[in-house]
Amino acid sequence: MKKAEPKHKRLISFTVNGDDIEVEISASDRLIDVLRNKLRLTGTKEGCGIGECGACTVLMDGAPVNSCLVPAFQAEGSVIETVEGLDASGKLHPLQEAFVEHTAIQCGYCTPGMLMSALALLREHPEPTREEITRAISGNLCRCTGYHQIIAAIEDASAKMKTTE
Amino acid sequence: MTKTEWVGADVIRIDAKDKVRGVLKYMSDLSFPNMIYGAVLRSKHPHALIKKINTKRAKELDGVVTVLTHEDVPGLNGFGIAIPDQPVLCSDKVRYMGDAIALVGAESKEIAERALELIEVEYQPLPVVCDPEQAMLSSSPKVHETGNLHNHVKIERGNVEAAFKEAQVVVENTYFTPRQMHAFLEPESGVAAIDEDKNITIWCGGQHPYRDQLQVARALGMNPRKIRIVNTPTGGAFGGKDEITVQIHLALLVLHTGRPAKIVLSREESVIAGMKRHPMRIHMKTAAAADGTILANEARVVSDTGAYASLGGPVIGFAIEHSCGAYRVENVKLEGFCVYTNNGVAGAFRGFGANQVTFAVETQLDMIAEKLGMDKLEIRKRNALRSGDIAALGHQMEASVGLLRTLEAAENSRLWQLKEEFKAKPSAPHKKRGIGIACSFQGCGLGKGLPDYGAASVELLPNGQFAIGVSCPEIGQGNTTAFAQMAADYIRCSVDDIVVLSGDTGHTLDSGTSTASRSIYTGGNALKHAVQNLHNAISPIAAEILCVPEDDISFGHGKIVSKSCPDKILSFKDIAEYITARGLSIKSEGHFIWPVSETELEGYVGIPHLLYSYITQIALVEVNTLTGETEVIEAVSVPDPGKAINPQGVEGQSEGGVVMGMGYALTEDTIIKEGMTLTRNFSTYILPTSLDMPCKIETIIAEELEPSGPFGAKGIGEAVCVPISPAITNAIHDAVKVWIKQIPATPERVYTALKSREVS
Repeated sequence: MKKAEPKHKRLISFTVNGDDIEVEISASDRLIDVLRNKLRLTGTKEGCGIGECGACTVLMDGAPVNSCLVPAFQAEGSVIETVEGLDASGKLHPLQEAFVEHTAIQCGYCTPGMLMSALALLREHPEPTREEITRAISGNLCRCTGYHQIIAAIEDASAKMKTTE
Repeated sequence: MTKTEWVGADVIRIDAKDKVRGVLKYMSDLSFPNMIYGAVLRSKHPHALIKKINTKRAKELDGVVTVLTHEDVPGLNGFGIAIPDQPVLCSDKVRYMGDAIALVGAESKEIAERALELIEVEYQPLPVVCDPEQAMLSSSPKVHETGNLHNHVKIERGNVEAAFKEAQVVVENTYFTPRQMHAFLEPESGVAAIDEDKNITIWCGGQHPYRDQLQVARALGMNPRKIRIVNTPTGGAFGGKDEITVQIHLALLVLHTGRPAKIVLSREESVIAGMKRHPMRIHMKTAAAADGTILANEARVVSDTGAYASLGGPVIGFAIEHSCGAYRVENVKLEGFCVYTNNGVAGAFRGFGANQVTFAVETQLDMIAEKLGMDKLEIRKRNALRSGDIAALGHQMEASVGLLRTLEAAENSRLWQLKEEFKAKPSAPHKKRGIGIACSFQGCGLGKGLPDYGAASVELLPNGQFAIGVSCPEIGQGNTTAFAQMAADYIRCSVDDIVVLSGDTGHTLDSGTSTASRSIYTGGNALKHAVQNLHNAISPIAAEILCVPEDDISFGHGKIVSKSCPDKILSFKDIAEYITARGLSIKSEGHFIWPVSETELEGYVGIPHLLYSYITQIALVEVNTLTGETEVIEAVSVPDPGKAINPQGVEGQSEGGVVMGMGYALTEDTIIKEGMTLTRNFSTYILPTSLDMPCKIETIIAEELEPSGPFGAKGIGEAVCVPISPAITNAIHDAVKVWIKQIPATPERVYTALKSREVS
């Protein structure tokens, strides 16, 4: 069998959901490729490949990014958080609980990215206004829900996180 | 009926937890050792003859495992739900830019894509057929040898000409509707594997696993039993995954290489190759009496199905069936044409032809009301179909009819009651507000003349829980949760004790499609029969254990009780342990065939329907008179789904439908010029975001129970996205007095209409 020549490979190291990772990447790899194909973190979804739909949203050093637009080598030394890290404690994150309770999920393909955008928002603004929520998820397309149950879930999670503080 | 414990409650989605944790595996998340990656060579021309295909250089590229062409399709080189007119891999001709010519399997996606560039195809371009009206002329180049008119529907009743003469008002207009894209967030994708005995399994998002199985089997020339299709979970479909997408290509790759394979379409490829909603040109002439009674409706509808039929034939039939709205009209002259062009390919899409004609007829109705000085809601009430009425195609409304109930609830909504107050407070002086209303109905099921059936299984598991199986896939709509709720109430157990198997030819019986607002009604009725059989199987065993006669056994709240001696109680777990210890099992099936209308329309299949869901929707808009921009401020959605099995789920459908219908009304259009798709991704195809949606969507569920439905349920997945579009355009008229006859009502179109109004 003919094998493809490996080319332009290099090692990078970064943190994913609290774990230190060292992984070999190609020059053309995007962050989403490394997460999904190398680390098998398939919770992060690809919907458009050009940063328009937000399904691939992860947090990079705390900020939401479209992982389809981040060249993998840029992740060197960074802290990456994906949907798989949300319930690392073994318990659902309040955002996840609220999404479940409010049926803020239909097909679920936008859900991981939506959760990560919401997480970034709540860290920065623990008590966001509805306007701030709407703006924070405006880069995450959802074709199923019409967004209302998602916004209600984020409002609810914010309230619950406040009371448990 | 016994009071339900689970049906009618906001039971949490059974798939919610896995979805929020990111652990649910969609098909493109699956990988296998030794897997190859597939890529498809698409046509470079919208219409051309293929003179030569040379794959030699591609095959020589390092890392390429196989390059397949039409010569490698062992069975029928064609697919299509209605007629298999779309080639799996084109041999002599291409008819649109998405046509597949060759298929590469390689060690990596990058190599597969590089190999595509090395395949040489010699084309002889043909004139592009892009206008459906022109395409119908005998002088037009032919997309298919059989001619460009794929389907023609003509229904006449009464005497429209006489009605036009005696009418108080006649309105006549031409409407244009866009090529809406499903835009499911998960592009068409899947994986496949083959075993030593050449049994193939395909994991691929889809809407009817058994039909996928049939279409794959035909193309491979194989026994369908050797092919297993898994469609659940699917990351959104809306009709766009009803047809074959990548299933046959996956099967060819594994068949020819013996290795597992994966294909994931890029968004651009999905946009170019995938299904769309049929753009239609609708000429409509409607007459009414002085009291607002509709006397006659004449419609000529031309539908652009693009290069291949798929469900274009049934869609034009459905459009004609719904072209007079959910109203009584005695005189009709309705004609529909489904035409081949080189404009992409169109097929099933939530609403299935109702969206286009509803936009037209609901605008006509508002124009009539305005001319007569009538209230917009009142004119709809006056004409609304009632049970027993004769509908447009001459068929009687035999089942539950909920339109009036939805209109009454809409009338009592806060938005309608306070409409003048809402309109009086625009956010800026150059902005004008308006309120619009529209109604529709939606045929449920496949309609007369098409085989429409369902089957379900129920198995008592060794731990006392139940596994239920229905093959209608979970595409996001929530049917698996509704199946669990219905099964729990039929069995009389906890919903937490139900495990749902879905969308898998290997583990579920054929229940048909997750389309046509049919899966709740079908799956529920099949489950009802399956549970009757399950109870019949459990009863003698329970009687044996409790030492009572079989007819003394009753089922209630997670237990089996002796009627005569109520302290004799068994749990389902007791039964499970009893039979497991004896090496027995209990698995039952239920089968169900859809009832159909008594009306036979000779020469047509799929129309009319027996069962319809109904809906009224209201929109409050604000139009910027300086830019032509329209914002939907609030909406009210009043669906009649029959019994709402899961009200929170119905609300989710309703809100999602409103926003999808808003996109259709205001922004969405896949623009194809000379056969070339110009809007290739979400940067130019404009979907509503969270910033665009109405601030408030009030859903009022108006249940008109359907006696033949499970717990009185019908279906609601489609109707929710239909009348909101004309409600919005009618609201634009209410705000700025311009009639929108072409959607989407983009700022440019509204602005131009405003300017021409000023000039005239």
